[in-house]
Amino acid sequence: MGREEDIRQAILDYGSKGAKTKFYFKDMLAGVKKTIPDTGASEVKGVASKMIAEGILEYFSTGSSTMYGVKGRGISVEKSGDAGG
Amino acid sequence: MGIPGKEKMWDKEEKEHRKYDDVRIFTDKDFNNYTEDELKAFKPKHATPMLDELEKGPWPSFVSDLKREALHRHKVGQDNLLIPMEAVDDLLGVVELSYKEGETHWKHGGIVGVLGYGGGVIGRYCDQQQMFPSVAHFHTIRVNQPGAKFYNTDFLRAFCDICEYRGSGITNMHGSTGDMVMLGSTTEQLEPIFFDLTHDLGNDIGGSGSNLRTPSDCIGPGRCEFACYDTLAMCYEMTMAFQDELHRPAFPYKFKFKFDGCPNGCVAAIARSDMAFIGTWKDDIRINQEAIQAYVADKIPRDGGGMAGANWGPFNIQEEIIDRCPTGCMTWDGKKLSINNPECSRCMHCINAMPEALRVGKDTGVSILFGAKAPILEGAQMSVLTVPFMYAKHPFESQQALARKVQDWWIEEGKNRERLGELIQRMGLKTLIEVLGIPAMPQMVKEPRSNPYVFFKESEVPGGWQRDIGDYRSRHPK
Repeated sequence: MGREEDIRQAILDYGSKGAKTKFYFKDMLAGVKKTIPDTGASEVKGVASKMIAEGILEYFSTGSSTMYGVKGRGISVEKSGDAGG
Repeated sequence: MGIPGKEKMWDKEEKEHRKYDDVRIFTDKDFNNYTEDELKAFKPKHATPMLDELEKGPWPSFVSDLKREALHRHKVGQDNLLIPMEAVDDLLGVVELSYKEGETHWKHGGIVGVLGYGGGVIGRYCDQQQMFPSVAHFHTIRVNQPGAKFYNTDFLRAFCDICEYRGSGITNMHGSTGDMVMLGSTTEQLEPIFFDLTHDLGNDIGGSGSNLRTPSDCIGPGRCEFACYDTLAMCYEMTMAFQDELHRPAFPYKFKFKFDGCPNGCVAAIARSDMAFIGTWKDDIRINQEAIQAYVADKIPRDGGGMAGANWGPFNIQEEIIDRCPTGCMTWDGKKLSINNPECSRCMHCINAMPEALRVGKDTGVSILFGAKAPILEGAQMSVLTVPFMYAKHPFESQQALARKVQDWWIEEGKNRERLGELIQRMGLKTLIEVLGIPAMPQMVKEPRSNPYVFFKESEVPGGWQRDIGDYRSRHPK
């Protein structure tokens, strides 16, 4: 696999296996670095942004801070507005 | 998308300025669609006895405004609105309920947004959706305000039309970051709103979440003679240069740029931004001694006429200017005003009081400060003066490079939800200036240190840790 594919896979692995379905960028970066130690914030951000545009990842915003998530894991757009949800 | 029947206009991708009449959604008749008698007789959907109390004081009331908007929307009719007509009725109802119960019925946050953007939209939902269905989804959209909030009425009217047509019709002008805030729309309308804003108004949405927040600047040289640099140009260029940071969140928390043209600080950059740019000057304050005499003779009103009508008696330059200089750097001998410029701390009092006589210097640039606002650690704090002076020339590449250095450090070292100011506190100002490559200066010292231990690195000590013990013992025998 190419480097971008490696990072994509590392992001997916991190986002799919943890107990938390939404995670901070910094935690995702640390997770990717376990597999690809020589990567950095800007490289991972670039790949993650592409994955957002492709609908593989999605943002979750509290308004004051933002997290990432793998689309389909955890809360969805359709469900996020449900009372008590 | 766009106004039904006028969709082709949006396909042209025209670059020229659009007039309100080109893009308007509502007619003048729509805007004047109720009488004051109808308003008096109008009963919103929910009774609001507690909110009604807020209309009884001498001040303008948001409750009265909401009732007007509720009636207006009833008269416009659901056929001409894309979110529920009764949104404002239900908003009044949910606020009344919250007043009654003493707790909120809003939930905020979520996945909603526009494609590719990680900020600018804040999901908001009501947890009493059976009772208030029209505000079940009531998202906030932050719209990037034009530089220094300079907009003409065409822009403002077009913005309000979008807000009415695709939202609740309620705005917040302006949010604390400066954004033009649309309060209340549904998930389905977010992309169309974004499309209309970008295509009709040439305007982007703003920042929220762990992003660069919408940069904010004072009116600068657009109207103010105190401006020491072009705040409008710098705010625009920095906004464009940091688009990725503005829309694709990867920071530990929020980050704010603010641009004040002079130390008067009209956008309060020193207190409200992680990286503050404040206009300053290196040379002397310019003095027009003839104008000073005119102020002393009360021929020119003090404070640009701002105190006109107040009974302050005749202008007393000694009491009102000289004695109030915080560094005591001014003297008045009865004929001539003198300033010891190296001692001036840029408080701006004398310049504000006698603007025709005193002007900022000609050799101007910016001071750069870091780290205001650290609410979690120990409450709000002011930013730290780190770069006393830097020239501010278009396209502001030096400022961009400095911002990227500090942001890279913060991304690397900052904890989740830790503001830059908190990181500086945790790691120390010494670390910050090492990161930025700036030498330590006495002006950075706020007070004598309380901790007597200073840990130097070997590279900071002449000769390092290595020494000739023989040489030492030649001067210090055992």
